[in-house]
Amino acid sequence: MPAAAAIKVLVVDDQQTIRSLVRTGLQQIGFTSISEASDGEDGLRAMLSPLPPKLVISDFNMPKLDGLGLLRAIRAHEPIKTTAFIMLTGRADTDLVKRAAQFGANNYLVKPFTVATLKEKIEAVFGMVT
Amino acid sequence: MDPMEAIKITFFQECEEQLAELESGLLLMEAGEADGEVINAVFRAVHSIKGGAGAFGLDDLVRFAHVFETALDEVRTGRLAPDPQTVLKPMLRAADVLADLVRVARDGGTVDEARVLQIAEELKLASPVAAEAPGEDMSEIVFGFAPPPFLGDEPDGIAAMIGVPWAIHFKPKAELYANANEAGLILRELGHLGEIALTLDTTALPPLESMDPEGAYLAWDIVLTTERAESDIHDVFEFVDGDCELSIEAKIAGDRPSESADPTSVEPPLDVMALIRRVQGGAESAPEMPASPEVAPPVIVAQAAEPAAAKAPARAESAVSSAGGSTIRVDLDRVDRLIDLVGELVINQAMLSQRVMEAGIAGASAIGMGLDELEQLSREIQDSVMAIRAQPVKSVFQRMPRLAREVAAMTGKQVRLVTDGEGTEVDKTVIERLADPLTHMIRNAIDHGLETPADRIASGKHPEGVVRLSAGHRSGRIVIEISDDGAGINRAKVREIAIKKGLIAAETILSEEEIDNLIFLPGFSTAAEVSDISGRGVGMDVVKRSIQALGGRISISSRPGKGSTFVLSLPLTLAVLDGMVVSLGEQTMVVPLTSIVETLQPKAAAVHALGDSRVIAVRDTFVPLIDVGQILGYRAEMLKPGDGVVLLIEADGGARAALLVEAIQGQRQVVIKSLEANYRHVPGIAAATILGDGRVALILDVDAVVAVSRTGEPTSLEPQFQMMA
Repeated sequence: MPAAAAIKVLVVDDQQTIRSLVRTGLQQIGFTSISEASDGEDGLRAMLSPLPPKLVISDFNMPKLDGLGLLRAIRAHEPIKTTAFIMLTGRADTDLVKRAAQFGANNYLVKPFTVATLKEKIEAVFGMVT
Repeated sequence: MDPMEAIKITFFQECEEQLAELESGLLLMEAGEADGEVINAVFRAVHSIKGGAGAFGLDDLVRFAHVFETALDEVRTGRLAPDPQTVLKPMLRAADVLADLVRVARDGGTVDEARVLQIAEELKLASPVAAEAPGEDMSEIVFGFAPPPFLGDEPDGIAAMIGVPWAIHFKPKAELYANANEAGLILRELGHLGEIALTLDTTALPPLESMDPEGAYLAWDIVLTTERAESDIHDVFEFVDGDCELSIEAKIAGDRPSESADPTSVEPPLDVMALIRRVQGGAESAPEMPASPEVAPPVIVAQAAEPAAAKAPARAESAVSSAGGSTIRVDLDRVDRLIDLVGELVINQAMLSQRVMEAGIAGASAIGMGLDELEQLSREIQDSVMAIRAQPVKSVFQRMPRLAREVAAMTGKQVRLVTDGEGTEVDKTVIERLADPLTHMIRNAIDHGLETPADRIASGKHPEGVVRLSAGHRSGRIVIEISDDGAGINRAKVREIAIKKGLIAAETILSEEEIDNLIFLPGFSTAAEVSDISGRGVGMDVVKRSIQALGGRISISSRPGKGSTFVLSLPLTLAVLDGMVVSLGEQTMVVPLTSIVETLQPKAAAVHALGDSRVIAVRDTFVPLIDVGQILGYRAEMLKPGDGVVLLIEADGGARAALLVEAIQGQRQVVIKSLEANYRHVPGIAAATILGDGRVALILDVDAVVAVSRTGEPTSLEPQFQMMA
């Protein structure tokens, strides 16, 4: 995995609490460039910036555009197509994880999570060990 | 602060928002006015509370929220009809319990375990399908699901390990064959992606004699179970795109037989380009959220460019919701610091104006005009800054439906609470301090105001009583009305109680209005005759005092058989005040402009002595004349009426009085500085301020001065005040 500090991460969740928790976890792992969005459309807007994040950690159930919609939009838009995507789910929802997988999610993370799990999932996505 | 503690504070704040969303959504559902988005928002509210609670190990909260969420999911997916009686009533009760659990998690204390269990049972009964869902324990649900092994270098992610089915419909057009493509090769390539099941559709095949040898008549329905991503399937059809009818859809293998009816499992088509266009269109107005610094208790700030609410009474709708959700959270301390600074700016600007005037510089000069502009700008900045602290009264109003439900249940009355003007914006501090008085008044309205259903029917009314709570702006103040359509105030009984309590003499003659106002007297209501609900040792006098502490007034009007209305009139902000600057002996004081009705130059003949006190004839009526300088101890002797100016004021409850002062200096907006925070409470004085010339002036508490003068002890304010002077 490239050094965590070099990877720009976008955290998308309608709950400030969860965004803060993910941010705190990411900071502990060593990420420094973390931005937040409060719904899927907000997240997509952030992805359309000139230097889009390389990793998206997104909630599923959000107003305006849900996580699956965000994922589909990312995968369908050429410039950001290869962004790593981790879906946050509130519970052990096999169907949801399957659907996320179908649309090209790289991994998933069940809330509540530990920093260790978060780290594990990110490492898995980037296929390397820090 | 420990980052987790800070996040926890955020969590509880979000819980409040979500609980409010939950309740208002459920009420909409109960009224049959909810659309899919409302139902989804209700679900999301409980879901979010559960998710956050899980992160902080708040197990009781998680457990209950889980049961609730499961039931809501049944409604959301259409498996359970949202029946108002059997489903929504229990859910509203569940929302109350959830709110209690959140509060206990935040503030400590205990929750009624039996009630939690009972409501959880009700929820399970209401949604029998959900009740069968296994695992009540969140930790089991979360960790019981074994994560599939994951290969980091596999580009197609988790699908690689799971293998998911896709439904593909493929119908080549004649052009496909004309362009030298071969349907068979495409299908074979598709087969390389995973397991494939083909169904050939020959229904379009014409009889042999009418068949065009170069036509295309065959179609295939394919179920492809693959570990690859959707884009790989599309790649197979890359060269025939446009030459065939093609649909590729995720086919979810449901665990439950009803799964196919689950609307959430079917992905609607997504027009990504349209979405991107829409999102980019709003890109300028809502930039990417910046990294937020550590937050202390934040306040939600709407990006409201409009001036203070006082100037825009029509802006009843909340700016928070209309701003398209582009809000930021700002530390409240920062906002207050800004308000302080703007206050200083206003004072400074006033000082500057005064110096310039004293220097004899003409108002029409360049300096004078520049100063005018500065004054204008200062006003605008002040208005804008005040608007930051303004919040819709919704946050208080939305606590009232639950209260109404509880009080109705305890008193056996039927009540419908109607709220109006929830978007009306008021200063945050005012809103916070409104909660208790409003709670008490709503309780009163139901408990004392409304009749029992039987009595209502007997008097030809609908058994369900209506309590109305409304807010709005009126002439620079916020007006809140609490009205009921009950029996009205029983004046004979009120009078009897007041006499019994020694509040009035038995022979006192009082107007109807004065009788109604007796309920505000301290000691009028005591625990002995108020019921459990209203009587928490708080009477209307306490309500009145807390409203007065906010610079507000309260009045009542009542019609027998028709009901009562309480009207609260409050200032929009606690930070500034329009005042009349007056001279009292050597002192300068400020009288709030809102209480002044008119000013007059008294003639000695109009003033009549009445024992120790004096009255002044104002047109056809006599009004008590209060010598403010004497009552506050600035002067020992009475001021001769001819030597002063009279401010005719309207105090609390509509009582009029004439304040006699030496002279009027002018009218000015002043920044309120709390005397209590810097010194201590002084009777007769509401606060202090700094004038344009840098002098400190005290702001008169008109109601207190009038009240003291009424007791017939004109010097009762004196002792405390002399310490001050």
